[in-house]
Amino acid sequence: MHVALDPGSWTVHTEVFDGPLDLLLYLVKRDGVDIRRVSIAPIADSYLAYLSRMEALHIAVASDYLVMAATLCHLKSLELLPRPPAMLEEEDAIDPREALARQLERYEQVRAAADALDARPVLGRDVVCRDPVDDDDLDRPLVPGVDAFRLLDVYYTLLTRPPVEPASHTVHRPEVDLGACVRHVLASLGGVGGQRALSAILRGLATRPERVVAFLAVLEMTRLGWLDLVQHGHLEPVAVTSKVPVDADLSALRAEDAFAEAG
Amino acid sequence: MTDDPDNIVVFPGPRPEEPEALEAALEALLFASGEPVSVAELSDALDGADPSAVRDALDRLAARPGGLRIVAVAGGWQMRTDPRHGEAIRRLRGGRPQVMSKAALEALAVVAYRQPVTRADVDALRGVHSGGVLKLLLDKGYVKVVGRRDEPGRPLEYGTTPLFLELFELSGLDALPTVAEREALDDGDDPDDVSRRDDDASAD
Repeated sequence: MHVALDPGSWTVHTEVFDGPLDLLLYLVKRDGVDIRRVSIAPIADSYLAYLSRMEALHIAVASDYLVMAATLCHLKSLELLPRPPAMLEEEDAIDPREALARQLERYEQVRAAADALDARPVLGRDVVCRDPVDDDDLDRPLVPGVDAFRLLDVYYTLLTRPPVEPASHTVHRPEVDLGACVRHVLASLGGVGGQRALSAILRGLATRPERVVAFLAVLEMTRLGWLDLVQHGHLEPVAVTSKVPVDADLSALRAEDAFAEAG
Repeated sequence: MTDDPDNIVVFPGPRPEEPEALEAALEALLFASGEPVSVAELSDALDGADPSAVRDALDRLAARPGGLRIVAVAGGWQMRTDPRHGEAIRRLRGGRPQVMSKAALEALAVVAYRQPVTRADVDALRGVHSGGVLKLLLDKGYVKVVGRRDEPGRPLEYGTTPLFLELFELSGLDALPTVAEREALDDGDDPDDVSRRDDDASAD
């Protein structure tokens, strides 16, 4: 489509149009015509010319503008073609021209209302007030200035935010040497025939894991016949008697793999 | 010992019969608050001063010229600078004031004059998709969701907030500027159109 442009229309508009109605209203006003009596054809041409200019300037034309362009073309065609009698009879049908004029009028009123608001003394622009005293400093009950939808907004933001990696911390398990525990038990007993209370033997070890392992070692050594366990009465101390020398060969103990079996 | 009445120091509060003292106290309270304060709150702070006396004093303060004004805002009263000094304040503070875009102003006007409105209402009146600009107004706190319309899809309905009234220095929604736009914006077939009161209707 070729649109003839008068040289005067090649001015650069610093004003950015805020939608098709804004543009249309501008064109109507520029031509100084009454919205109600506007002739569609020239306005439609100007509108399309503006759109093609926007395209020439590689400005993306929003779909809203294209819908309006289609409407204008439709109205223009209605204006150019004689109406079939059937259409004239339809009294109830809303004249599309009328509808557009009405839409433009309403938009003009929105603009007027927006201008009226803008003409008010706007806080932060024309007038200022004192910033309220920091609420943190006052022992005042909190009045949340949020509604349910704002809360939902916050919740949604929380959900969509990438999760924070949990802080990692490694706990090192102290290694307990079984052999050392066995040696400790045998050393405390002091060779064949040596006797001590079980509690006394265990007390000689520094940490709880060592004591647990030593206790299990005592049970296992008893099972192997290395030790005798005797308790003389209820709640009496458990006496441990050694049947092997202090430097007994521990390989027998290991070969049995006693602890794996016990586990 | 407090037996001797001469030793008791009394700071006399303002009394209705001392209008100047009451005005001075109100000025101090409004300065201290910063935010709009209702007549009831002011009266409570003044140890139960007569609300009508408080209102009269506020009216007198509002009529007083000066760089600071006492204005009826958002259902209360607030101390604000006079717009004549806006330019000077801007220079003093430096930086640029936040200017609301044309799109935001239009959408806000539609919400203010036609509330409760749906996004589709705003779209139709402006001829542009207004979801983005409505979201902005929601985030800024000038607009809030007031409910859902009883029609297919149950779309959200929007209305203005007290912060909107503060922004445009309106005592209430009935103080929205000029009758013409409001009547024009209403279809005329709106039965529950509240008849407007004068702009200077006191807010309390």
